[in-house]
Amino acid sequence: MQRSVSSLSLSPSVKVKLVNAGFQFTADLLHVKPLQLSKETSLSQLEALEVLQAVRGETGGGDNGAGGGGGGGGASSSLTALELLQKEEELRSIVTFSSQLDAALGGGLPVGKTTEICGAPGVGKTQLCLQLAVDVQVPQCFGGVGGQVVYIDTEGSFLLQRVVDIATAAVQHCSLLVEDDEQQVAMATFTVETILSNTFLVRCHDYVELLAELHLLPDFLSNHPKVRLLVIDSVAFPFRQHFDDLSQRTRLLNGLAQQLISMATSHKIAVLMTNQMTTRLRGGQSQQVPALGESWGHAATIRLLLHWAGPQRLANVFKSPNHMGATVRYQITSEGFRDVDQSEQPPSKRARKHTVQMAAAREPSET
Amino acid sequence: IVARTITTFIDCDTKQRRCRHWGDGPAGAQPEDHCSPHLKSAREVLCVSGSDLQRVTGLSSSDVQQLLIAAATSCRRHHPIAALVLHRKFDAGLRLSVGCPVLNQLLRGGLLVGGVTELSGESGAGKTQLALQLCLSVQYPTQYGGLHSGAVYICTEDSFPIKRLQQLITDQSLLRSDVPPSLISSLQFSDRIYIEHVADLDSLQVCLSRRVPLLLTRGLVRLLVVDSLAALFRSEFQAADWLERSKQLLTFSSTLHHLSSRFTTPVLCINQVTDFLSSSDDSLGPLSSSVSPALGLLWANQVMVRLMMRRLQVTVAQGDQSSVLRRLEVVFAPHLARSGRDAAVWREGVRGVMREVEMSQWRGSEEGGGGGPHFCLTNKETNGCK
Repeated sequence: MQRSVSSLSLSPSVKVKLVNAGFQFTADLLHVKPLQLSKETSLSQLEALEVLQAVRGETGGGDNGAGGGGGGGGASSSLTALELLQKEEELRSIVTFSSQLDAALGGGLPVGKTTEICGAPGVGKTQLCLQLAVDVQVPQCFGGVGGQVVYIDTEGSFLLQRVVDIATAAVQHCSLLVEDDEQQVAMATFTVETILSNTFLVRCHDYVELLAELHLLPDFLSNHPKVRLLVIDSVAFPFRQHFDDLSQRTRLLNGLAQQLISMATSHKIAVLMTNQMTTRLRGGQSQQVPALGESWGHAATIRLLLHWAGPQRLANVFKSPNHMGATVRYQITSEGFRDVDQSEQPPSKRARKHTVQMAAAREPSET
Repeated sequence: IVARTITTFIDCDTKQRRCRHWGDGPAGAQPEDHCSPHLKSAREVLCVSGSDLQRVTGLSSSDVQQLLIAAATSCRRHHPIAALVLHRKFDAGLRLSVGCPVLNQLLRGGLLVGGVTELSGESGAGKTQLALQLCLSVQYPTQYGGLHSGAVYICTEDSFPIKRLQQLITDQSLLRSDVPPSLISSLQFSDRIYIEHVADLDSLQVCLSRRVPLLLTRGLVRLLVVDSLAALFRSEFQAADWLERSKQLLTFSSTLHHLSSRFTTPVLCINQVTDFLSSSDDSLGPLSSSVSPALGLLWANQVMVRLMMRRLQVTVAQGDQSSVLRRLEVVFAPHLARSGRDAAVWREGVRGVMREVEMSQWRGSEEGGGGGPHFCLTNKETNGCK
């Protein structure tokens, strides 16, 4: 559209400002947002909106939502809540091998949302992350999501020895569930080697490298549309190094949270973060709270707290928009993150036949 | 373009070139206007949010995005790599052997070469013994579980136990029956152990920032032992100085992590223990004794593998020697189960002792390992042999 701006039906002062800022033709104005336009041309926001409406009206095509939107006005049209609900139901949650935790989370780790795991060292946060990194790759005919995973490791705790253990157990678990040809074919693509090849590892040594990686991640995700899970283990470690200016840390964390939320919704991935615990003194009593400050608590949609109660390990869902807080017991075995009672049901959304239960009952005697 | 009032310019020409190199700058704009003297490197650019960058440099938002992506690309070390590629590298799963097959089996091969391993226990538990054994074991070639290099031993409390080291060196062939004696006698063990004495935090920082990196860069050492760190951090600070102590502890641990990852070197920190104050303080999991490692939750968050050693009430005999039995336990580690092995301290070093139930489990698993002589366990109470 090489139509000149001066030919639009706008006031002359507005046209002068547009031309001075470098917008000669309507083509320049097609992909500009009102806020950006008003900043660059020092027009008021209302005037900027009018200009864009005039341009879009003239070109005839354009976006339906541009007129209705306020400062946003992007390429997406507005959705009704019903459409949003349908879209959400299409996205499957990532099923773990712990049915109690799945029930507490409402079906598994939700895709499109950010989840945070807090806990003291040694309680099992990295184990749950590794388990989910393997579980996201379970083929769809077994009830999984069949996606890839990007694992950002800031502590160095991604150990291949352990990943191979968990992957081997998962493959074995699924191979016992094979009932028909479709699943048999799917098992050929679900081996330890393919699990490792679908896990993309990034090792970040400080917070600047972490921020850099997150700036470059949207590009990577567009090139790899099968990624369904992003794990950051852990967010707290690089940010708890000594910061001279704590307000800068809060600003950086807020920016990071915004980036993660936007990545989760736009690329339809589940984001999983790990956080440490710190002691807070309150009125002479000390209690353990998640690290990184109060404002970081708003970053994640769902928060899980893993803690010890004597010799037992407990997982408590203490922030969730959908389900009320539940506490479940879990254990860490050589196979990974599991429920405590051995008669756990294998992950499958199809109707369970008695052969599946026989397979599950056979397992303990084989180990 | 409107001229901005920018207070100081430091060499605007280089900034001009840097800005152009980053690919920004709409045509017709003056270069000074989008280079602030406060943004001197790509790292600083990443620490500023997008809208702040726009305000400071006067670029449009799409240009700011381009600037951020260019800065991020220069700060990033490598692309996301598929884990399979790492799995197939020749040094995947590299471990530093402890020198005893029983203890190696507990650690699934030995110490991790990246990350900080902590060994805590009461005095007399045998922590220094194990550390000395590691200083010798690192000098063997990789096929015998070593890293073919020396060790740096940083002492903070007592003087270095040189006589005990000489004793261990003399009896190495007894301990390491899997290594040919000709190889053992050809190694000059004491030449490759570098001992540093540090009495306070400042000299520790100097040592870790100057002398240790020099040794690591030259490839002379590939093991760093700090014995013991609680001594430094406890004595220097009063209870009210916890903020300063936290800062020092974080700086220290970040130095250790950088050294460990840059040179793929195992770092072993020996720690003391403190009593449990109340039974509700079990946040770090059930411990088999009533003591817990010192320095609290802040330090525990920095540690990747936590091991504990404690004395048992049992004595064990071998030939003409007798030793109090110890137990080496894994408190937490990303790849290890929470279990332990008994161990005894002999003239030739620390050797693990298998209990009957562990032995039958081990025979059932695929790898048996080298295996040293097995011992008869005398229990003081029952007065019998297990």
